[in-house]
Amino acid sequence: MNVIEVSNLRRVYNANVGAIRRSHKEIVAVDGISFHIEGGELFGLLGPNGAGKTTTVKMLTTMLIPTDGSIRILGLDVVRDAKKLRSRIGFIYGGERGLYWRLSGIDNLRYFGSLYHLDPQATRKRIPELLEMVGLSERGEEKVEGYSRGMKQRLHVARALLHDPEVLFLDEPTLGLDPVGARDLRTIIRNLQAENKTILLTTHYMLEADALCQRIAVINKGKIVAEGSPAELKSIVSDLSVIEVEVFGSVDDFLPTLRAQSFVDALSIENREQKQVLLIQSPAGAEAVSPLLGLLAGVRVGKVIVREPTLEDAYIRLVEEDV
Amino acid sequence: MFRTLNTNIRIFLQGAYLSYVALFAWIQPAHYLATKVMGPFFYMIFFVLMGAYISGRNDASFYVIGNAMQAAALSGIYGVSMSIDGDRWGGTLIYLFGTPANRLALFLGRAFMHLLDGILGVIIGLVWGVLIFKLDLSQTNFLALALVITTTVFSTAGMGLMLGCLGLITRNVMLVNNTIFFLLLVFSGANVEVSSLPAWAQTISSMVPLTRGIAAARLVIDGQSLAMVWPLLQGEFLVGVIYAAIGFLMFRQFEIIAIRRGTLEAF
Repeated sequence: MNVIEVSNLRRVYNANVGAIRRSHKEIVAVDGISFHIEGGELFGLLGPNGAGKTTTVKMLTTMLIPTDGSIRILGLDVVRDAKKLRSRIGFIYGGERGLYWRLSGIDNLRYFGSLYHLDPQATRKRIPELLEMVGLSERGEEKVEGYSRGMKQRLHVARALLHDPEVLFLDEPTLGLDPVGARDLRTIIRNLQAENKTILLTTHYMLEADALCQRIAVINKGKIVAEGSPAELKSIVSDLSVIEVEVFGSVDDFLPTLRAQSFVDALSIENREQKQVLLIQSPAGAEAVSPLLGLLAGVRVGKVIVREPTLEDAYIRLVEEDV
Repeated sequence: MFRTLNTNIRIFLQGAYLSYVALFAWIQPAHYLATKVMGPFFYMIFFVLMGAYISGRNDASFYVIGNAMQAAALSGIYGVSMSIDGDRWGGTLIYLFGTPANRLALFLGRAFMHLLDGILGVIIGLVWGVLIFKLDLSQTNFLALALVITTTVFSTAGMGLMLGCLGLITRNVMLVNNTIFFLLLVFSGANVEVSSLPAWAQTISSMVPLTRGIAAARLVIDGQSLAMVWPLLQGEFLVGVIYAAIGFLMFRQFEIIAIRRGTLEAF
């Protein structure tokens, strides 16, 4: 049964540009997307910065009115039934803000407990359970200002779960966390799914999406460009190999020539410390290495690796194709 | 119905205490001492000395009472507005609006602790007046004075609720707060007789909080009965209600417009 149904969702922002001669500009953040999420499913929404992920989550969480289209969650319309729906959903947006730093973790939860209409007895019982679940039992009485970023994110999760919502929206919950913090949060998300919560997760991290999500939609420039299970998305690039070439110094001048080659399907660059890594998706596999290095004549090249594609490669291809 | 009422009272009371602790920037002891204890002490000295010099009055009580009552505006205006617009700066506003909580209980709760704090502020001001300028309270009906102080702090808090909402839509509400605070110093009758102001200024005086409260405080300390100042208190209370109502309408409109335009977190 579908818990979330999104149909032809569109959101346009109006902006005024210029100080003296002001002109009106329309920015289409979400452009007619449709998807559904079944009960108990963990659904990932992936996309680059500015793709429309957060705008979509804000509309799903009643914090932004769509310009067009409809959203039904648990059978309720997000605009018409916003107040009823707020008791049944929980959400967190990425980042450290959104907590009262001068209050303790427990006081933050106590306050939101009253805002979600929990009676004091239920709140008293629920807070230690949640703190235990997110690993903050020992620190609950400390002020939030002394928490690490990961602890704040975990407290956000506890806050979102106070009223035991059926549906959870997690907008980039692991953003900026160290590997251990991110792993802890992923474990929490996995446990929530085991409790049969319906979860929508947005993230930049493909490994995270691959490990957690049952289905994924890739959004770019406000449109959904692909949707399916991680395995289905990976199959988009199953006929390709990925060649990773470490280079030192700028290679910007070479990129148009490289992109024009018949054996280059998609190309992206990653910065890793002092070097850059060219990620080339190619149907030619190892045979493409030699002509590739020939085209990079004059560039200091380090390690070259040919490997199987991952979900990240599928994502890069989808986003690059759209460009 | 009782369950809903209970829930809303809890939102009001918890919000009152926790928002005060969480969002009132002057709550740190050093800040509190500087702004709420020593601040009134120095500006009281300033206005008493300057007022006595200009007007030739021997009686400092006019300025002492006026400036002690003006201390209500420190809590009512600065404190309350901090507790409203602080949610936006802290990024908690979107989470508050994401709850089904009753907005009136949420909104009014933000002012409650500042009401108590404001009463304390006025008492501190009066204590300075007694200690330094020998303010004579021998004729005072203290019950009436307590009512006058509470009503006056309430009316400034009403204005603070409105200014806090301005803080939700403007970048720098402190600028507005400062302007209003100093405007009150002139127009409320704290340091200048309202009757000596030009007619247009008297119109402003009649529309701002403090004016009637200060006049009532002077009369009560001078020995007048509660019945005598009752009309002034009614007026002061009404001013507070009007500002608080405007503030709440602005708060609701802000939520509706911000969710429609997507400006909840825009600055």
